[in-house]
Amino acid sequence: MITRDERSAVLAAGLEAAQGELLQCASWGDVWRYASSLTNETPTVSPAAYEHLQQGDLPDVNDPLRSIADRAVGITQAELAIAETGSVLLIEPSPRDRAVSLLTKHLIVAVSEGDIIEELADGFRWLARQPRAASYATFVTGPSRTADIERSLTIGVQGPSRLTVAVLA
Amino acid sequence: MSASTAPFKVRYRRSVGDPDLKPRLLDFQRSWRESRDAQVRRLEQRTERSFGELRRDFAAVKDSTLERLDDYIAEFRAQAEAAGATVIELSSAAEAVDYIAGVCKSRGIELVVKSKSMVSEEIELNHELERRGITAIETDLGEWLLQLAEERPSHLVMPAIHQKRQYVAEILGEELGREFDPDDIPAMVASARDGLRGHYLSAGAGLTGANALVAETGSIMVVTNEGNMRLATSLPDVHFVTAGIEKLIPTWADAERQLQLLPRSATAQTLSTYTTCITGAQPGKEMHIILLDNGRRAMRETGTIGDALRCIRCGACANVCPPYQIVGGHTFGHIYTGAIGLVNTSFHHGIEEAAGPQGLCVSCGACQTVCPVDIPLPKQILEVRHRAHESGHAPLWEQIALRLWAKPRLFRHLMGLAAVGSGIARLVGLVHRDHLRLPMPKRLRWRSVPALPLRSGQTLVKSRPPQRPWPNSPSTGQTVDLFAQCLADRLLPTAVDSAASLIEAGGASVNLPDSQHCCGLPAFDAGDWETARRMAKHTIEALEGSERQIVTPAPSCVISMQDHWPRLFDHDLEWRDRAAAVSERVHDLAEWLEGPGRLPNGCLSKGSRKAWTAHRFCQASNRNDAGARIDQLVERLTSESANPLQEPDVCCGFGGLTSLAAPEVGEGILERKLACVAESGCDTLITNNPGCVIHLRAGANASGASHQTLHYADFLAARLPKDP
Repeated sequence: MITRDERSAVLAAGLEAAQGELLQCASWGDVWRYASSLTNETPTVSPAAYEHLQQGDLPDVNDPLRSIADRAVGITQAELAIAETGSVLLIEPSPRDRAVSLLTKHLIVAVSEGDIIEELADGFRWLARQPRAASYATFVTGPSRTADIERSLTIGVQGPSRLTVAVLA
Repeated sequence: MSASTAPFKVRYRRSVGDPDLKPRLLDFQRSWRESRDAQVRRLEQRTERSFGELRRDFAAVKDSTLERLDDYIAEFRAQAEAAGATVIELSSAAEAVDYIAGVCKSRGIELVVKSKSMVSEEIELNHELERRGITAIETDLGEWLLQLAEERPSHLVMPAIHQKRQYVAEILGEELGREFDPDDIPAMVASARDGLRGHYLSAGAGLTGANALVAETGSIMVVTNEGNMRLATSLPDVHFVTAGIEKLIPTWADAERQLQLLPRSATAQTLSTYTTCITGAQPGKEMHIILLDNGRRAMRETGTIGDALRCIRCGACANVCPPYQIVGGHTFGHIYTGAIGLVNTSFHHGIEEAAGPQGLCVSCGACQTVCPVDIPLPKQILEVRHRAHESGHAPLWEQIALRLWAKPRLFRHLMGLAAVGSGIARLVGLVHRDHLRLPMPKRLRWRSVPALPLRSGQTLVKSRPPQRPWPNSPSTGQTVDLFAQCLADRLLPTAVDSAASLIEAGGASVNLPDSQHCCGLPAFDAGDWETARRMAKHTIEALEGSERQIVTPAPSCVISMQDHWPRLFDHDLEWRDRAAAVSERVHDLAEWLEGPGRLPNGCLSKGSRKAWTAHRFCQASNRNDAGARIDQLVERLTSESANPLQEPDVCCGFGGLTSLAAPEVGEGILERKLACVAESGCDTLITNNPGCVIHLRAGANASGASHQTLHYADFLAARLPKDP
């Protein structure tokens, strides 16, 4: 077992290897301030993040994906973060839950420091116990990428081109 | 007809005529190898388990699932249907296409957006839907580029790896009606976002594959990098999943085991960007999971080949495959590419489609060393090659050559004639550095034809006094049977003589069993098991009836006797036992010199300043055979260090009949090897299998390289003291 501090450090290293970044935040307010500093638009927020923030643009109920396609900054919340791989686990049963993580260009994923677990195996153990969560669960490791043209790694394809994991103390 | 759907011979000519393909794939293989190895090392450190243990564990999961496949399918179906999905098992490609088209028609769906699915390639879904008036659009960038170019994937994971950026710029320009700068790859990548967004929004269905089907919850797991799969499953109202039945695994814990191996082996990533787990239909939507057989159950019933169902489609087997580097996946495979494509194509698409590329495999065995589920691919390819031979796919020249080879006396006479001919050529000045100066067709000019020495290896051994043994040698008093190997005996006779000297130096005396000829390897390799059996029986008869240990300077014959003989005689108990009684006494010379006939450290030290390096016979090295690392043996005996050689275990391109059947493949692999040899700065290249020596020497002769090529027995025997 590794300590809580070590877990954050391992997560940061894993994220860096996957071209993502880690941001330490004292509160959801910090996350909002950081997101707002990146853009002149109002940040978009997923329904899960809205519960904490009580502000930001939510995806439209009837046409969630079209309503926020290609917005600059989005905030969502992860169930867990996996230190070993630098991943976050997003539980997003409906397209509206998913819209922000699918289509915003810079995605900020907030996760409580206490929800950082050591290994991917722990993540799957958690998932096995939550059948409803598994209706649409995604381990996200860094921003979207491709190397399909002459193996040249390009960050940012059809999903976000920047990924920040905001660790809430 | 596009580059990837033409007949095999046309595809072959096209790929060897593409000057950019080889260097690009070489660069890819080398960089993949480096990053994959680093990933595997980190995994081994973290888990405190070896790659071998990790892959055996997961292979065991796959095997036990396949054994009780129907139970797991039933469990998967019950769970998935309870979560609102429709699960349907279909036995053929046509049924799968009909099912998908039927659902589309009844829902009025005219557009399907697809995330990458090899099963959909297997059933040629896009084409078949098109015929039924339904448009399917690929949304993975590489797959989309292939679709625009009307091509098939040339790699399981990097489908468009054969396409040049200039070509990509051209096809994107045509599709999107604007110009692209071929050097601005990010702009071309960004165009996928714009080019595809409209399709997601108007599609009635999204189709994905599945990397795993998790029985305990009825879930699918899909691994992607671009984010397109999540879009294709979030916008449309219908989600089709096409997956082979072999994708079932029992639990999420098993899914995690698979993920330890899959991304690391595929793209050398710790984890791909998106690992998506979906259970059941989402509210208000439909999910249809198509479990496809299409030859898989038949595969499972086929002893040797059943293990190929463990495959998790990582593509690693192509990434270490020397012939794949030369011809790419459109030629090395059919729809499935790489070593696994040479195996499973015969079950999914028929032996006709599988037969063409069989002769390209050099049997080096590299594929199995990196396979994350330890599929015995080299063994399986030989099995498929055998089936192709049985169904009449062997070239005529090959059949004739093998029939001649199989007759020991005729072979001896022909070789004798060739030796006399070589002697005459020598007299009239047609021999240069032991190779004939003959006008050769352009395809074959990269390798000179060796001039045969007049005397065979066995004659050389018999015509000299024995080498004095080293004092207190461990094998003193023993008599050893020397199996010369048919090829070495005539083409590399000094190696046979040197092998005898080294055995004698180790204390044993050498006996040459009469009428020894060929173990059957060339025929076995060509899939002609009937001829191989005849040759093997002849060798068994020549070597049986004694308790003596048998030593050979040809590790390929050791492998042939130990691995192939049991397969040749698995239905013939009498011959199986007789074969085993011989093969268990066989030793590779290097193993003998490290073991029973061990020579002392530094005993052949001469203080020579000549720089040497060692190419290790790939097949022995990839099997981890004792004695495969000849550089270590030679360093130990001579106290001289080898010059480092890059890729010492990668095939030299001989590959038995491959370099005859597909000369460009032999040439390309040899080029890769000779470039490494030149880089080593050696004066002498040594290696351990006679075939490699002959091939490397003839190639060096043709290219005018200055180094000398030797069997290590010759290198060592030249240092034996005359009077120890």
